[in-house]
Amino acid sequence: MKKRKKFTKDSFVSGAMLTPALVLLCICSIYPFLWMFRYINYDYNGFTATYTGSRNFVRMLHDTTFWQSVGHTFEYAFYKIIFIIPLSLIVAVVLNSRLKGRNILRSIYFMPTIISTAISGMIFAFIFATQNGILNEVLKSMHLIKQPIQWISSQDHVMAAITIMALWGGFGNYMLYFTTGMSGISEDVYESVKIDGANGIQTFFHITLPMLSPVLKIILMLAITSAFKDYEAIMVLSQGGPGNRSMVMFLYIYNLIFGGQGTSSQPQIGYGALLSLVAAVIVGAVTIVYLRISRKLDDVM
Amino acid sequence: MKKRVLTVLLSAVMALTMTGCGGTKTDESGKSSDSKENSSAISGQSTEKVTKGKAPKGAKTIEVWSEDRHDLDYIESMIDNYNKTNEDGIFINLTIISDDYENMVKLAIDSGTAPDIVGANAFPLFKFIDNDLFVPLNDYIDADQEYQKVNEPYEHSYEGANAHDGKIYHVYSGMRSGVRVEYNKDLLAKDGYDEIPAKLSDYIDMAKDVTEKGNGDVYGIGFTSASPFERLLEMSAQVSGIYYYDYTKGKFDFSGYKEILEQGKRFMTENIAYPDQQGVDNMRALFAQGKFALWSNASQEAGVFTQQIPIDKFEWGVAQVPSLTGEIKGALQTTPSKSYAILSSSKQKDLAWKVISYFQSEEFTKGYLEKGYCLPITDYMDGIIDKSKTGRLADFSMLDYESVYPTVPNVNLTGDDYRTVLWNAVMGYVEIDDAIKDLNTRYNEALDADVKAGNSKRLVISDYDPMHPDKGTVSYKEK
Repeated sequence: MKKRKKFTKDSFVSGAMLTPALVLLCICSIYPFLWMFRYINYDYNGFTATYTGSRNFVRMLHDTTFWQSVGHTFEYAFYKIIFIIPLSLIVAVVLNSRLKGRNILRSIYFMPTIISTAISGMIFAFIFATQNGILNEVLKSMHLIKQPIQWISSQDHVMAAITIMALWGGFGNYMLYFTTGMSGISEDVYESVKIDGANGIQTFFHITLPMLSPVLKIILMLAITSAFKDYEAIMVLSQGGPGNRSMVMFLYIYNLIFGGQGTSSQPQIGYGALLSLVAAVIVGAVTIVYLRISRKLDDVM
Repeated sequence: MKKRVLTVLLSAVMALTMTGCGGTKTDESGKSSDSKENSSAISGQSTEKVTKGKAPKGAKTIEVWSEDRHDLDYIESMIDNYNKTNEDGIFINLTIISDDYENMVKLAIDSGTAPDIVGANAFPLFKFIDNDLFVPLNDYIDADQEYQKVNEPYEHSYEGANAHDGKIYHVYSGMRSGVRVEYNKDLLAKDGYDEIPAKLSDYIDMAKDVTEKGNGDVYGIGFTSASPFERLLEMSAQVSGIYYYDYTKGKFDFSGYKEILEQGKRFMTENIAYPDQQGVDNMRALFAQGKFALWSNASQEAGVFTQQIPIDKFEWGVAQVPSLTGEIKGALQTTPSKSYAILSSSKQKDLAWKVISYFQSEEFTKGYLEKGYCLPITDYMDGIIDKSKTGRLADFSMLDYESVYPTVPNVNLTGDDYRTVLWNAVMGYVEIDDAIKDLNTRYNEALDADVKAGNSKRLVISDYDPMHPDKGTVSYKEK
């Protein structure tokens, strides 16, 4: 082992490269977080802060809207992940074969990722409109439905609507992750299984999937954390309605901190800060549980 | 190899987070444009310097901030005029902030870059005066007879909105009317109706009849997803003498809404309403296409249905909102607008007052009102403007039972606000009795806690009269 020197040229260079990111992280992420954190025991409307002791905490425990929104977040994340991961994996595998025009298809599938989520919310408001909505018209012309479906304005369908929107907006991104992961698998392996006479499905289950598993683990983790944090598109598409059916926890927190639509509610930055802390703990706990499970699976496999 | 994959992944994630940031921004502007119901606010630019030219040497610049953009053409030309001709050497520099206005002002105050004057009609007064951020204008007003004649500041001072404890902090020079029913005359005439019933149950029956005769093509009434309760049923409750705050006892009381909610529920259970609730502009467009006969909103619809989404296929009329019994038992809420406050951090308060008295002078206000930007608030201005110039706004003229309710104490509420919950009851997502019970508990708990913590004061008006809510004797209790 080499002896450590204090100031080599290398360490200076890497230090210099890390500094901007570190400074930005401190200013843009850590400092605001700590700034918020001091208000968790306060009522703070942006002007005056009053110390209220444990009141915010007690309110949080009894806040049914919040806990419902946590439930909806889990529901939404579950739907999103069970559809988006297999879908993007399959598309990535198909597009990884020597298909004609695969690069064009990849760009098309990736495109929604570039569009801001809020804009996609507005686009889907047109698609999901009950009367004259594109989706309903298509379904009607295919004779799949007789009555138009109330995608956004009915409690029964709004979850499906926001999940479809999330799939559209996110799957190109995960597809790209998988594609990148697959480019790391050596061609030699594929050639040798070809010689051994494996078909496409066998290749997928015995070569691609196992060799992708380290990447898959990371992608799943990213998918879980980001699904828990989604709220922008939902805010634009359904505003958490109807009757809070699509209210996810970060949307509720957003409304608290920036003041909701009602006149009698004012920005509640202190309470919102406490709830964001709770939300962060929830997301963190889910991630830890996931990491534990995935490590166990590694041991088994 | 594994490392390289990770690097690529990480950079992809970074790229994603960056697009994510971009997303939130657009998002906010989308939201604010909706809440202000002002489609001209969608321009992607949230802060904009308006005044033309630079301040000449030696001029005293008065910085003015406002969030209104819809009236910019007029304001801009009037300021330009003033900057060229005034004899005090004042240069008005107007900045429009259409996004997150209140926070931007607060931020500017904290960082010492605050303007001299702010457009203040949308601000919660107590937040500002509890921190001594506004200057009382009484001395200036008392010394200016002409200003008093045009603006009638003492007649139109509203407790908790622009005045407190006898001190006036900003004066309104216009207003938005209370909610009215806008209706498709041709469609109703076809089904045999030529006027809007004064009684809510008749109103619902009429809507039902139109829906039934419409055969799924045309409906009786439409509701938007953006604060629908506020746009009809809450106002029907107001004119029936029902309000959510009991001023005499100084506490929240939602039990009065029971009957209104039971009737309003018919719109849904009997499938009367247009079967989808979309954003405000979408619903307006559907109304303009003749998809439903009844719509209700305040005086901004005059501009909307003549310029933004012009109705040319049919005649549309404006009527008063129905009440429970057909009789008017309470005042209808109007929204005063266009007022300016001087920030206490200003170093040129006297000059700032000169600018305000120009903004609210007869000449300035007359031109403003005749452009149809809003309705006059004073009898004096109402008498002198040429109403033939204001177009359909004339249909929204002030009714004798319109007034401004004293501002209900702001509370730190846990959970949904009353408009959301009461609309959920109309939609059938919650039972009416449960909704009322839930609101009574949550609002009063929040009020009690806030009063106890000193965040809020309990507003009590012992001689409260629902027909004249602004006329009672106001007192604040600290427990």
